[in-house]
Amino acid sequence: MSTLGFSEEQRDCLQEIINVAMGLASDKLARFLNTFVHLQVPSIALVGASHIPAEFENRYQDTEAALVSQGFFGNEGVRGEAIVLYQMENAHKISALLGYEVGDVSEIEMLTDISSILTTTFLNGLADQIENSLSYSAPRVLSSVKGDMSSLLRNTSFHWEHALKVDISYQLVDHSFNCDMILLIPGEAVTNIQRILDRILEDY
Amino acid sequence: MALPVLICDDSLLARKQVRKSLPESFDAEFQTAGNGLEALTILRAQEIGLVFLDLTMPELDGIGVLEAIKAESIDCFVIVISADIQPEMKKRVMELGALAFIHKPVNEDKLHSILKQYGLI
Repeated sequence: MSTLGFSEEQRDCLQEIINVAMGLASDKLARFLNTFVHLQVPSIALVGASHIPAEFENRYQDTEAALVSQGFFGNEGVRGEAIVLYQMENAHKISALLGYEVGDVSEIEMLTDISSILTTTFLNGLADQIENSLSYSAPRVLSSVKGDMSSLLRNTSFHWEHALKVDISYQLVDHSFNCDMILLIPGEAVTNIQRILDRILEDY
Repeated sequence: MALPVLICDDSLLARKQVRKSLPESFDAEFQTAGNGLEALTILRAQEIGLVFLDLTMPELDGIGVLEAIKAESIDCFVIVISADIQPEMKKRVMELGALAFIHKPVNEDKLHSILKQYGLI
């Protein structure tokens, strides 16, 4: 991970908090899909938000994709916007698992549900561990046809300074399902998060 | 006599959390491992009484460690402390012979009651 301001100890602390939050989200997802989810350690990286469109261009450019975005607000200046990116090919696998027809209108609803499970369970788990509590705005879904994901990402991320990329890969029992979660956060939130991490580290 | 204890987790914070959650009366000599392979190297070379084991780790995960302990009949107690809290994972871990399955972040009371139950404190 880029060390943009994070010490090795802070990075380890954030990674562990994220692993625990991810475990909660996977458990919820497994229950929702009625299957077992192989959990992998998510890789995290803090980057400038302006780099986000370029970072994801290759993975999402030549494919139909969807972006689900949800704002979050907490105490101590912790706030931001969580976005989850899906390749529609991956989304179709989940639709099939849940018994939807591919291309069904409700597929978008399903994506909203899954994103909501992933982001709110994940962020609540994260907030609990840093003794914070978060509120959320309603999720917003943006679909992209081939080629316009980077402009969607540009429009979503341009007013934020930093982005915490969390690369999530779920292995379901008989299929793999990948998506990316990105937390867009303002500069002062990074400083606040560092302060909170230091407080946790002081306890140990 | 101090109990030889191994704390295996890829996160330094998690290893410290386990250490800090143990009661003061717990007389132990601690060693740590950052992944499953390191843990097995220690377990094969030394007598370890109790292992606190994480599941999701690089190199070799906790399930791999439990399988090796079982296959090689290594004599030690294992308490799994995991971020993966799916019921099926707990079932798998218990079938492989773990004493207990605790959710992360580790809960002090829960840990103490398990240690007490097995006469370790």
